Amino acid sequence: MDVALSKNGARVLRAFFVLVVVFLYAPIVILLIFSFNKAQVPAFPLSGFTVQWYRDFFANSDLRGALETSAIVASLSSVGAVFLGILASIALTRRSFRAKPLVSALLLSPLVIPYVVFGISLLLLFHTLGIGNGIPTVFVGHTVITLPYTILVLVPRLEQVDVALEEAAFDLGAGRVRTFVLITLPLILPAIVSALLIAFTTSFDEYAVASFVIGTRVTFPIYLYSALRFPSELPQVIAVAVVVLVASLIVIVGAEVGRRLAERRLAD
Amino acid sequence: MDTEGRGTERRFDRQTLLKLAAAAGGAGLVAGPTGVAEAMNALSAAESGRLQVLDWAGYGNDGGQAMFAQYVKQHPNNKPQFTYMTNEADALAKIHAGLKPDLFRPYVGWVKYFATSGLVQPWDTSKIPNFKHLNPFMVKAGQYNGKQYGIPEDWGFDAILYRSDKVQPKAKSWGLLYDERYKGKIAWFDDPVENLTIAGLLFGFPDPWNQTDAQLKQSQQFLISKKHLVRTIWSSETELDQQFASGDVWIALAWPNDWVQMRAKKLPVVYMHPTVKKQRPIAWVGMFMLLNGTPRPDLAHAYVNGWSSKASAKWLEDNYGYGHANTQARPASSDLLRVLDLSNPKAVTLPNAYLDRDVPRRADYAKLWEEVKAS
Amino acid sequence: MGRGEGVLRRKRLSLTTPSLLGLPLAWLGVFFLLPIAFVALYSFDVYSLNPGPHGFTFAGWQAMFHEPIYLRLFWKSVKMSLAVSAIIVLLAYPLAYYLALSGTKRKYILLLLLIAPFLTSYLLRVLAWKVILGDQGVINTFLFWTGIRAQGHPVSQLLYSQFAVMLVLGYIWLPFVALPIFVSLESLDRSLLEAASDLGASRLQAFRRVTLPLSLPGIFAAFLFVFIPTLGEFVTPSLVGGASGYMYGNQIVDLFGTGFPDWETGSVLALFLLAVVAVLTIVFSRFLQPRTVS
Repeated sequence: MDVALSKNGARVLRAFFVLVVVFLYAPIVILLIFSFNKAQVPAFPLSGFTVQWYRDFFANSDLRGALETSAIVASLSSVGAVFLGILASIALTRRSFRAKPLVSALLLSPLVIPYVVFGISLLLLFHTLGIGNGIPTVFVGHTVITLPYTILVLVPRLEQVDVALEEAAFDLGAGRVRTFVLITLPLILPAIVSALLIAFTTSFDEYAVASFVIGTRVTFPIYLYSALRFPSELPQVIAVAVVVLVASLIVIVGAEVGRRLAERRLAD
Repeated sequence: MDTEGRGTERRFDRQTLLKLAAAAGGAGLVAGPTGVAEAMNALSAAESGRLQVLDWAGYGNDGGQAMFAQYVKQHPNNKPQFTYMTNEADALAKIHAGLKPDLFRPYVGWVKYFATSGLVQPWDTSKIPNFKHLNPFMVKAGQYNGKQYGIPEDWGFDAILYRSDKVQPKAKSWGLLYDERYKGKIAWFDDPVENLTIAGLLFGFPDPWNQTDAQLKQSQQFLISKKHLVRTIWSSETELDQQFASGDVWIALAWPNDWVQMRAKKLPVVYMHPTVKKQRPIAWVGMFMLLNGTPRPDLAHAYVNGWSSKASAKWLEDNYGYGHANTQARPASSDLLRVLDLSNPKAVTLPNAYLDRDVPRRADYAKLWEEVKAS
Repeated sequence: MGRGEGVLRRKRLSLTTPSLLGLPLAWLGVFFLLPIAFVALYSFDVYSLNPGPHGFTFAGWQAMFHEPIYLRLFWKSVKMSLAVSAIIVLLAYPLAYYLALSGTKRKYILLLLLIAPFLTSYLLRVLAWKVILGDQGVINTFLFWTGIRAQGHPVSQLLYSQFAVMLVLGYIWLPFVALPIFVSLESLDRSLLEAASDLGASRLQAFRRVTLPLSLPGIFAAFLFVFIPTLGEFVTPSLVGGASGYMYGNQIVDLFGTGFPDWETGSVLALFLLAVVAVLTIVFSRFLQPRTVS
């Protein structure tokens, strides 16, 4: 694009881009290196290769329990958020009503609330109503937080889908629900999967809100946080960190690539 | 020995009376005092439900059950159920919110507060056989109005830990925590009352635990003026240990176990008791307190008895590096023995140390401390 | 289509909108708006953690504005967030510019490469920096090992400092910030640039007069995306900030958790933060691109 960048300009910017990417991934690589390092404390020089920390982590039932709890909460809240998100997105894209700007602002507003404020607000709500903290309360918090993300993913896709297809089905006598299930749903499936993944990873990783309303149970980020402050199990935590980071990178990249391929194929 | 609980409305029906007679009679026949204890157990096992314990993290199942193993063996059907308290104010909030524990563990500075709050009732020490082995000075600290409201268990000191290869204190004084020469290498302890109290000790105020407005203001201003020297304000012991071990911190308000841990890592460290003028280290003691209206007082007594045993005491000292009020117990580590001055039962009180005590203006102290952190 | 059928269709349309929106809005109403209302009620002491008499009072709010300590802490957090946001927006702009306007064929893959770390665990990336920055951490032991610094003389203020907090926050948010700038640069009409070139403008002039102004909404969005969350941050400061990196969010957490809970003051502080964030969002939303949702 010669009008925007000279050849030299492009070279400089490319070098800068590479530099930043290296900076972004370097700490992750460092964690990877030290996850195989023999010493208890991560420091140079390296002390030798070992897979002990990975073995220890697999044997650590507290850690596995925390991963399990996070997986449960994330699965439930992502399904809940996507369900609510589908309802809201259909209303926003297929209906016209006067309060639309206000409603969409409200639906997206959890994006801007600082998590510390939201966390304590839920704490106060449940405390005042006498509701005990645990998996259900975190479920509630995470569905609220991830709902805007699901809407932001579903709405563009719903707008892409040709309304004429739906109208045709409706004209042929299919009810609203059947039209949705048979026509719309398959077409927005890639977006639904994307939304589920985004909601899942957001919830799985979320510490701030969960820390206020989890009660005595432990999610993975909460376990991680105490490991960071009480670093007696630091090497194991580093091993877990590497596994989770690499796994999520693969999932994210794979999902995004998959979504684009699927949508391109559906467009044909 | 009858076991009708004070304050419990249990009425013995014929069945229970017969059981008691059989147990006491039969047991008495066979095994003497042990048998009577068994009878007691049999009866308190009739208290329904599991024992509800409100305790700090690390003292429940998460710490290993060795600390109350004796109790679990005696009452396998009433295993304790734990709720965790992050501190006494949190416990108070939970109780007000409707949690109904049978017992909980505030520290010695709160004994008077809870004793006068109507929330707790005194213990019946005749039901705690291990009570006679507990340190008499700590036991006294758990009394209010002549009644035993708190049963002492874990204890330790607040004093100064420093790197002897990096730090030369000018005097054995709390002032080392505010020494301008060691900027960026000092760690304070995150406690709403302690820091202002220590400033009060430094200034030589007559009662640092109950300072006047003017004194509090002076203490707070002092802390704010020295805050730029502080690297971290620690709230968990392992956090402090790691900062010390990694060399990020050279001077800290610390507990005896931290000295033991650093010695184990071969670091040159000194655990200094401030003794200049009227300064002394501060001693803390955990006190089990019994909630008023609990339906399981006998189980609670049995639990506390288990905690007060020599075996529990030794386990606590060996694994957590805290002292235990049971004077018979000795830890495996000679370092710990030394730093806790375990052979001296008067270690926790004057002239050796200031036992932590009631702070009438606790809310004021807490507010001022939050402001120090914010500054 | 006969009249009857038309009426039937219109009836169906008006029935389903409330039934679609009913559940999501109710959910948000109960679990988002209501909790915030409770924060307000606690801040006015209508509800309280402590038993005893209480009722509507402005005392908590008066205290906050009367004693400047909490406002000063808020201002300290504002300054830190402003600095971090400004720096990483400045760093992210050239990245987004390169991706959007250099004509590279793999721009979406590269964008994904840039964003991917942001979508992985936040705490784990903070952990990485804790490991790197300490006095015996990766950087310092590397410096000892290579002889750049003498043993026992580490660069000390890397960890447990304001610097550490800002560095880590910047690191965490940098990938995310590139996204809105990229979006606005990508939708730039190339023909405008070509026209400018035809009219004799240099690339730099074209940038200053065409690209930059048109990408301003993206820049504002990026700035807001990072400024607002970091303003309330407490996790990173608690892990790498030490005593000097203590931020406004930490104060709120402390008032609700450690030491001696003071829910009234904590609620006042929280609501104040929320009010500032709400005002900022409303004011700046005028500068942002219209959202695709409405």
